Amino acid sequence: MNDIAQVAFFTVGMATLATLVVLPLGVALAWVLARKQFPGRAVLETLISLPLVLPPVATGLLLIAILGRRGPLGWFLAQMGVEVMFTWLAVVVAMSVMALPLLVRSARSGFEQVDRRYEQIAATLGAGPVRVFLTISLPLARRGLLAGALLGFSRALGEFGATIMVAGSLPSTRTIAVAIYTYTETGQQAAAGLLLVVSATIAFGALMLSNRLAAT
Amino acid sequence: MYIRFISILVASLAGACAPLERADSVEDRLRVSAAVSLSEPLEKLAASFQRDTGTLVEVNLGGSSTLAAQLLAGAAVDLFISADQLQMDRVIAAELIDVTTMVSLVSNQLVFVVPTDHSIDEMVPSMLRAPEFGRIAMGDPAGVPAGVYARRYLKSTGLWGVVADRMVPARSVRAALAIVEIGAVDAGIVYRTDARVSSGIKVVFEVPVQEGPAIVYPAAVLTEAPNSIAAKRLLGYLQGSLAKAVFEKAGFIVPRIRT
Amino acid sequence: MAVPIILDFTLQQGDFTLQLQERIEAQVVVLFGPSGAGKTSVLEAVAGLRKPQCGVIKIGDTTLFDSNREVDLQSSGRHVGYVPQDLVLFPHLNVKGNILYGVGSGSGQEIDQVVGLLELGDVLDRDIEGLSGGERQRVALARALMVSPAVLLLDEPLTALDADLRSRILPYLERIRDELATPMVYVSHDPSEIRALADAVIVLAAGRAVRSGPDLDLITPA
Repeated sequence: MNDIAQVAFFTVGMATLATLVVLPLGVALAWVLARKQFPGRAVLETLISLPLVLPPVATGLLLIAILGRRGPLGWFLAQMGVEVMFTWLAVVVAMSVMALPLLVRSARSGFEQVDRRYEQIAATLGAGPVRVFLTISLPLARRGLLAGALLGFSRALGEFGATIMVAGSLPSTRTIAVAIYTYTETGQQAAAGLLLVVSATIAFGALMLSNRLAAT
Repeated sequence: MYIRFISILVASLAGACAPLERADSVEDRLRVSAAVSLSEPLEKLAASFQRDTGTLVEVNLGGSSTLAAQLLAGAAVDLFISADQLQMDRVIAAELIDVTTMVSLVSNQLVFVVPTDHSIDEMVPSMLRAPEFGRIAMGDPAGVPAGVYARRYLKSTGLWGVVADRMVPARSVRAALAIVEIGAVDAGIVYRTDARVSSGIKVVFEVPVQEGPAIVYPAAVLTEAPNSIAAKRLLGYLQGSLAKAVFEKAGFIVPRIRT
Repeated sequence: MAVPIILDFTLQQGDFTLQLQERIEAQVVVLFGPSGAGKTSVLEAVAGLRKPQCGVIKIGDTTLFDSNREVDLQSSGRHVGYVPQDLVLFPHLNVKGNILYGVGSGSGQEIDQVVGLLELGDVLDRDIEGLSGGERQRVALARALMVSPAVLLLDEPLTALDADLRSRILPYLERIRDELATPMVYVSHDPSEIRALADAVIVLAAGRAVRSGPDLDLITPA
């Protein structure tokens, strides 16, 4: 029972962290895609959407190719004594990668629904681009942003394929999804079932909230 | 309402930090990547090893192919225990295994199972030809070790031709077991160790070890192991008499000959 | 007080071309003409929301746009007070937030003057949603005035209002002209408004000025 509580809190904590981590990047990308034209825009859109369409295992393989000690980033970090694989960092990375496309989609839609006139008039009143973004675009898009954050959070919560690849299934990195798999494979059906209920409840709550925000 | 939501998130973040303790130096810890089917006996043995020697042992569980992929990417692991030789060979090919340390740690036995309420209590393999066994579950021979071994056995007894059409491939042995439990298939071929934990099935035939394929769970120390000395100690420990008892209690077969 | 106003540019958008060559001295210039003539486009070009292909836009001493010398000030640097026809009040800010948007917190004295001028003291804390047409118009005006603009750009500010309201707000505009001495470029098609406010007129049709000058009799009823 203690184990289950720990796994649940750990997963929710990591998912929260991952959402907070992708929020600035996701919002920036969403704004750029909503408002700006530039060469390579389609490539950027596709890259961001990749984790959505690739099987999570494939994304996991990509991640370990980069973050493993033999990968470009992993090797560099290993020189500095930092290990990513099999740590909570890996969990956050996997969750972030999976949450980002959902956040960007929803946030972009939120920005696109902000009438450009508001931004234009704000500019005529003397507001520079940063001020317009912070005082007009962001507040008016906040429902879409929040819905996107919740969607990303839910996705992070349920993330399995990439997580188990990068973070493994160790007691210190086991997320709800990985734990359900591990418990099932080791015959601990009751524990797996309980975690399933916990997971479904949290995800249900987050999704309901997200839908309420996006609907209005 | 938002305040409550946020405070739960903050509590989770705080709670998440609890398990993140690391040993002070590399000498104090070991990381083992082990096939998930070994988890029950292995985690017991890892705990007793840790008690005896003070070395912190972290066990990373997973499907053998996932574990191999992690190793190929350079994951920092000391000891690898695979559920079949195929995955071990992948890692050997990448020159990441110290082959001098490789042993066949344990073995397993194939069994035929049926749902508990099935009419028969015993069978012989040729009975699989009967029409009443229209659907037979097993681990997917394309990737699951137990499935590979099952197919090998069926081929050796000339039954593969019949079974291949009736086979329901499962993602893992446990999944195959689950399908049999709920009665979605008529029979299944799984490991003895899996059948042991399930109450919804009964074993109706045990493939004699001499007649079945040689099922191996190879274990070896990695060439780039951060702590190869302790890894070798653990590997030796896993071949000792206490380990033998623990493995056998879980249903595994322990080879008599030890290197 | 009259200032030099130069609207000498070409703006092409799709199949519509706006071409002006006006250099006048006035305080209030009215743009008059049928819909589609390009009146709003002129205001937006002055505000920096649309970019002419070539030409010069100059209000008083400040050059806002000069294609020959590669001058093209950002909207935020043009010190214009633009009140578009649809007002575009910010829905997420209340009245006070809207009025003060251009100046941040704003000094007490300035806001008192503008609020007093437009009689908005009672509605400062209200949300935009519940305001009447006339109140919304005055809020938009106040918001533009607060930045002490070098020029006010008003797009048919009274057209959407009923006769009663119109007759009540016109005096405000006259007060702005007289007390604040701010130059205005004003779009209208109401002759009586024009007679009350303007000292110069540009009559537009299909993107060109067909008549212009200080003579208000240029506005012949259509």
